[in-house]
Amino acid sequence: MNPFGSLDYFLVLLIAMIAPVVRGLRGKNLRGSTLIVTAVMLVLIFDSPARLLTLALFWGWQAAIIFCYLRLRARAPQRWLLWLALALSLAPLLAVKLSLWVAPLRVISLLGVSYMSFRAVQVLIEIYDGYITELNFLDVSCFILFFPSVSSGPLDRYRRFAADLRRVRTGEEYRVLLQNGLWRLMTGAFYNFVVGNLIWQFWLSPLPESGFWATLSYMYGYTFFMFFNFAGYSRMAVGVAYLMGIEQPDNFNCPFLSLDMKDFWSRWHISLSTYLRDYVYTRFCMAALRKKWFKGRRTSSYLGYVLTMLVMGAWHGLTPGYLLYGAYHGVLMCLNDVLDTQCKGFKKFKKKPAAAWLLIPVTFHLFSFGLLLFSGRLI
Amino acid sequence: MTDTIIEILNDITGADDGEITPETELFEEGILDSFGLVELLVRLEQFQVKLDVANLTREEISTPAKLAALLG
Repeated sequence: MNPFGSLDYFLVLLIAMIAPVVRGLRGKNLRGSTLIVTAVMLVLIFDSPARLLTLALFWGWQAAIIFCYLRLRARAPQRWLLWLALALSLAPLLAVKLSLWVAPLRVISLLGVSYMSFRAVQVLIEIYDGYITELNFLDVSCFILFFPSVSSGPLDRYRRFAADLRRVRTGEEYRVLLQNGLWRLMTGAFYNFVVGNLIWQFWLSPLPESGFWATLSYMYGYTFFMFFNFAGYSRMAVGVAYLMGIEQPDNFNCPFLSLDMKDFWSRWHISLSTYLRDYVYTRFCMAALRKKWFKGRRTSSYLGYVLTMLVMGAWHGLTPGYLLYGAYHGVLMCLNDVLDTQCKGFKKFKKKPAAAWLLIPVTFHLFSFGLLLFSGRLI
Repeated sequence: MTDTIIEILNDITGADDGEITPETELFEEGILDSFGLVELLVRLEQFQVKLDVANLTREEISTPAKLAALLG
């Protein structure tokens, strides 16, 4: 059963949400019902013995690494141990991504492996940083395997998630959350099933497979389709999470009103871009500055952007289209940075209301072209 | 701590004295970007100060005064 993919799924979801909603309205703790609902929904989503076994093996592997590292961290704070734990944690994800090229790995297939792996990595990094010193097995299991966001995000943060999981709201507080959750669920469904499907059916599907004008039209259509499809899934996932008392972060914030690419990445797939900013870009730049790896003041920033965006591309997949998409955005971020720091007038210009008329369309087209690379239509 | 933060910010951004105040909106005004924040964090490490930026929103650290309050 595909998450948010069929009428059956929504009917099951409706039944599954009864207990959390009733308990929430009565001001009760939702942790128990959230754990049970998550377990039941996972069994229905991973609906074959082979899929369930793969999920169980994956989670067993991640849990073993996380809890072993948690025990070791107090006695052995060495950084190489973190690198080892990260490499082991990311091994299943790498195997799935490499299965495109390595035939024997094709037996490995797991829905949501990218999101679940990145959540596990986040827990490991926070253990290393000393922010996580103890873990509850059920809480961390629920965080990594949380069913609404298992396949399409958003990428939440463990401590925030665990705090919500254990938080007891009053009936009135929950009522507000319920309203917000239902609004997100309905608007997400509208984005995905109505707008996204209409774009696919009447714009993208009839287009010829080649030709300049067809490709240009595809670029615009695909950009809007990706937004409504992906933002729709994200909103539905966030909405369902709200019904269980988990205030997952919103993943999109009017991305097509961005003034530049930096602004854009604070509005599109926000949970992934902030994750990569915090755990790749910031850490790379901090290490580079502390150890004085580069002479130029902003060299580490440029390399950090390229590295971060390449990781973002590779996270989607190891096909040329995804890697090119990552490299393209790395270069765009560097150019944006040069404009911000070397052209004093650019920053002032951005603040003028009239600038939006020029900058918004330019940013939109830069991103749309990136999605054309992402789509693989050009390669 | 607020004065120390402003001093470091002046140094990092090249801002004139008095340009950055305790209430200046650092991100909204375009004074601080992701790299500027990294530079600030590295400089603050000299004072044995560590900030858990991965679990803070930009809003929570948007002014020197808010940053100083978080750092105690």
